[in-house]
Amino acid sequence: MGELNYIYAPESPLTEQFRCRVPMKGTRQLFVVNGGVQGTRTPLSISLEKGQVMEEVLQVISVRTEGSPLEIAYKNNLHFGEGSQARIVLCSHTFTLDKFVTDEEVDITLDDRAVVDVVVMQNEHNEATHNTRFNITAGAGSVLKISFLTLHGGNIDNKVRVDINGEGANVDLSGLYLVDGKQMVSNSVEMNHNVPNCISSQLYKGVLDNDAVAKFSGIIYVKQDAQKIEAYQANHNLLLSERAKIHTEPQLEIYADDVKCSHGATIGRLDENELFYLRSRGVPMKEAKILQQMAFAYSVLEKISNAELRERMENLVEKRLRGEFSNCKDCSKNCC
Amino acid sequence: MEGNKMLTIKDLHAKVGDKEILKGINLNVKEGEIHAIMGPNGSGKSTLSSVLAGRDTFEVTEGEVIMDGKNLLELTPEERSWAGVFLGFQYPIEIPGVSNVNFMKSAVNEHRKQKGLEPLTSAQFLKLMREKMAIVGMDSSFSSRGVNVGFSGGEKKRNEIFQMAMLEPRLAILDETDSGLDVDALRIVATGVNNLKRPDNAFIVITHYQRLLDYIVPDVVHILYKGRIIKTAGKELALEVEQRGYDWLING
Ligand SMILES: Nc1ncnc2c1ncn2[C@@H]1O[C@H](COP(=O)(O)OP(=O)(O)OP(=O)(O)O)[C@@H](O)[C@H]1O
Ligand SMILES: [Mg+2]
Repeated sequence: MGELNYIYAPESPLTEQFRCRVPMKGTRQLFVVNGGVQGTRTPLSISLEKGQVMEEVLQVISVRTEGSPLEIAYKNNLHFGEGSQARIVLCSHTFTLDKFVTDEEVDITLDDRAVVDVVVMQNEHNEATHNTRFNITAGAGSVLKISFLTLHGGNIDNKVRVDINGEGANVDLSGLYLVDGKQMVSNSVEMNHNVPNCISSQLYKGVLDNDAVAKFSGIIYVKQDAQKIEAYQANHNLLLSERAKIHTEPQLEIYADDVKCSHGATIGRLDENELFYLRSRGVPMKEAKILQQMAFAYSVLEKISNAELRERMENLVEKRLRGEFSNCKDCSKNCC
Repeated sequence: MEGNKMLTIKDLHAKVGDKEILKGINLNVKEGEIHAIMGPNGSGKSTLSSVLAGRDTFEVTEGEVIMDGKNLLELTPEERSWAGVFLGFQYPIEIPGVSNVNFMKSAVNEHRKQKGLEPLTSAQFLKLMREKMAIVGMDSSFSSRGVNVGFSGGEKKRNEIFQMAMLEPRLAILDETDSGLDVDALRIVATGVNNLKRPDNAFIVITHYQRLLDYIVPDVVHILYKGRIIKTAGKELALEVEQRGYDWLING
């Protein structure tokens, strides 16, 4: 990735304490420490030229470390030129139990026919607050897929604004949030269909336990001349405790008349009949519940196109659901 | 030759809400036996099987169920499974997202763990799974599919028998496993059951039709009506029911 002016720095002291088992084959890692790319200290800025195809997956690992200011704000820029192709994994971690507040803005611009695949993985401590605003614009014929996996964190807020500005664009957003204890996660999406003949879909799913609180608010906005678009939005929640709370608000605002749109939200509990069926075959209650939760999460996990990454993420999600993250204050260092 | 005692049900009463459904069931099953239970719709056949498997929608108000010296009613559904109870459901449910293979791997390895055995390796497990699927004529493509998801009625029933073959239960209760099966599937399923029959296990087969009992020949036939067993006799009783219906038993 010489073209991107960033280097992978394996001699970094970070790698001593950070046990990320990625890079997987064909993945290149880049560390962002307290908002600045390691080695440059400036925020992440990537620009792919017209037609440029990134063969390797780029994994950007953002970490918050001891001794840095508790509150930081910065803006990243990801620009994908016409017809370029890239696969990106954005991970964020906190290394200590400090009350970090991270305000992050990420501009993602897809020029015409760019094809981009992004996995966002958030695994931070219970004291951490992380607000991210994703400003996305999609050009004609571009294809963007983003999966947000919010595995752990005190207060995580992801705001996504998408402007579909070119015909034939396809934007697929998905999210899985796993919240327990007193954690809070909020996802909001504003999907602006500004032009005709585009497709967008949103699938957000959450598993909530204990006193956790999650919010989902999504709006699909279809401009008057954005005819023949398809826009879908779904938010499904699984509540494992009586005290966990979910606020969900799916909305449509449509000014065009020839469109296909759907939206919906559900809030449910583990299905008792399924549970009995599984247990009747000798699967213990705890395991049966994990199987059910994994089944629930599956439709988001299966969106991850990279099979190896998907398997890693499935394992992480399963570990998380088994409660293996909460016993260990270093959990986010041993994440993948 | 008399088999050993396996299951003893004494004066079993169960209700759902205020409605009493089982009103004093008595039943003894010995090793090596096949019992058939017949009876009109709504008599309580599925309720009895659910209560034996440990479904908590039903409340047992009286009576006891002893299996191999253990009080079955005190056990959780999974503990009953480990003790050798298997229920082939009348209406197997679909579990989207849980694959047949993951489900069975979890079940089989848990059974092994309870017996103090090491879990099977993936290779061993897949070999076992292929063998057992072949018994019921299931294509191996079913293993990666969600449990019963999109399966036809007959395929669901075959899947129940497949699961039974994987777990090799001591006592299998098959609740209308024959309904929804075409003639060929019926023969396959029945052959599967007969292959699994051993001197030290037993079957309770719930059915409406004599047809199944041509293949799986019962030692005893019980007629359940309004929560009670009103008649117990040999295999000829099933034929008689087929010809004469239940009226003569109910009113006789
Ligand atoms: N959860 C429930 N709530 C209320 N009533 C129930 C419930 N489950 C079963 N029943 C009632 O109990 C009675 C016995 O039902 P059950 O399913 O055991 O009958 P069955 O003998 O298996 O009938 P079939 O031959 O039609 O399968 C029926 O009247 C049924 O409506
Ligand atoms: Mg029934």
